[in-house]
Amino acid sequence: MTTGPARPPARLPWFDTRLPRMRGDITWIYLWGAPLRVSHWLAAVSLVVLFGTGLFISFPFWVSAGEASGHFLMGRFRFVHFLAATVIVFAGIIRVYWLFAGNQFERWPALWPFTRANIGHMGAMLKSYLTLDPKIQPHFVGHNPLAQVAYTAIYVGTTIMMITGFTLYGQSNPGGFFFTIFQWVPGMMGGLQGVRVVHHTVAWLYPIFFSIHIYLAIRADYIERAGVVSSMLTGGRFVASHEKFEDCDLGDHPSVPWHTGEHPTWVKPQ
Amino acid sequence: MFLRKAEPWLDGSTLGEHLEESGVSRRSFLEFCTEMAVVLGLGSAAAPSVAKALETQKRPTVIWLEMQECTGCVESTIRSEAPTIGDLVLDVVSLDYSETLMAAAGHAAEKARADSMAKNKGSYVLIVTGSVPTKEDGIYCCVAGKTIRQHLEEAAEGAAAIIALGACAHWGSVQAARPNPTGAVGVRDIIKNKPIINIAGCPPIGDVVTATVVHYLTFGRLPSTDREGRPLFAYGNRIHDQCSRRAHFDAGQYVEVFDDENARRGWCLYQVGCKGPATYSPCPIVQWNQRTSWPIGAGHPCIGCTEPYFWDTMSPFYRRLPNVGGFGVEERIDTIGASLAIGAAAGVAAHAGMTVLHQIRSRKNMKQLPEHAPASPEDSNNG
Repeated sequence: MTTGPARPPARLPWFDTRLPRMRGDITWIYLWGAPLRVSHWLAAVSLVVLFGTGLFISFPFWVSAGEASGHFLMGRFRFVHFLAATVIVFAGIIRVYWLFAGNQFERWPALWPFTRANIGHMGAMLKSYLTLDPKIQPHFVGHNPLAQVAYTAIYVGTTIMMITGFTLYGQSNPGGFFFTIFQWVPGMMGGLQGVRVVHHTVAWLYPIFFSIHIYLAIRADYIERAGVVSSMLTGGRFVASHEKFEDCDLGDHPSVPWHTGEHPTWVKPQ
Repeated sequence: MFLRKAEPWLDGSTLGEHLEESGVSRRSFLEFCTEMAVVLGLGSAAAPSVAKALETQKRPTVIWLEMQECTGCVESTIRSEAPTIGDLVLDVVSLDYSETLMAAAGHAAEKARADSMAKNKGSYVLIVTGSVPTKEDGIYCCVAGKTIRQHLEEAAEGAAAIIALGACAHWGSVQAARPNPTGAVGVRDIIKNKPIINIAGCPPIGDVVTATVVHYLTFGRLPSTDREGRPLFAYGNRIHDQCSRRAHFDAGQYVEVFDDENARRGWCLYQVGCKGPATYSPCPIVQWNQRTSWPIGAGHPCIGCTEPYFWDTMSPFYRRLPNVGGFGVEERIDTIGASLAIGAAAGVAAHAGMTVLHQIRSRKNMKQLPEHAPASPEDSNNG
């Protein structure tokens, strides 16, 4: 909220032509809590490391020459892989906590957007992606349901990776903690080789997801100009008063500025 | 070494008396007991207890059923550590029936087995090698006019414990591999009410068999096992963690093809499909044929023969990961995964290009719109 004498509206010659015109108020709303953002970036870094080191462990393409005592190449790769595994587990614990402590967009029920209306929205999103037509795309304050399904799939996939990964990790210490708590896994997947196949197969989910996720995030930012890429850093995004959102009616929200006349402010959805 | 005389072990005498009569020295016997105590993981301090338990042992009876199998397990068992100890084991277990080893044949052999089973009902040990065919009422394996399943059920009836020897006896091994034409299953799928121990391997190491029998004779029960029913003293650790080539694994030194320079240097066989990281077995320590060698020691990757259903789960033997079913034999996970990843990246790039073109076009159109209305008084408040 500004104080002092009213300033004239900005009149930059290029402003009206170079940027899409927005009508009405635009405000910044706070969406993603710090624990969610921290777990996002911890997961992003550790998953890249895990995939890279995992590729080497599955197919060691560098071979060291000379005496074995002079090298520890695979040992180092495995160490970094296991270290990154502890980081993703840490990120997972934060995310699980935030599933119960976060807001309506971060909580447990948000992971399952399978209502009749949302399934229709998913179809509309898909159609908008396929026809490149942003006008037919439904708008959401949080994730669109199609994106949410992808994120939920990544959570499920990562859980499978953690279970199979720590099962394999536990084999080096039979009777130890990880060996004992994941004893049921090899039998379920047809032996340790089965566990290895599952771990190896699900790993390919990440490069597929990464390219699509990063692209669609940047694309959404490019088309909607709502700052969704930086929302994972700052925690919030922009909304305009004329936008109609399917998942949250901000027009009725008591603290939205075009309702109260205050601007700018933080709106924290309940 | 034992110098055995051909003295029969009389029913009433103990093993100690019998060994003395056979000319086995006390020192040789104690050496054997020490070794068994060590193999069992009891430590050499337990040797006197083992010796005491063994020498006071009355002649126990063992029935050895050979079912759908190749007799490789028998061959392996009679090659335990030293031939004399193999003899000792065969004496200790007093095989009343074993198709490969017994001298009798035909009706006489069947009668001997029936007599022995009736006489020692509830106390004999049943060793089983081979799998049980179940399709077509089990006609794929018949002995003396009866299916092997009937034989097994009769023999198991009066057994105190069952030793399932070899991969066939527990999981069916190669006969049970897909598509399993005879419906082969292991003993545990037929007999549910008896303690069964699983001496896994195709074939298992003779010393493990010997040690299991010694454990049974010493303590009167089968050794403790893992989830697969394998005795922990032998199958408690992975080959990978006991391997003599492990240093090369950690260093990043691998055989890439079988005849390369790295193979000559004795480097790790991980890349040519070694299943040591998935296999629990004492092979690297106990080894085979009087500690002469073992598969990885001889330059061949482990094929994982002590693991469940290894013909299906561990093959292809010279590749690190199993094939993916349903995608054709040649398609592998990496091919599919990498194609999908590259496909996703390519799709993203194409979509991005088209989105940019689309946006440029629609923004050009936007430019031609008339200027929108001047900011309202409320707007001018917005700094």
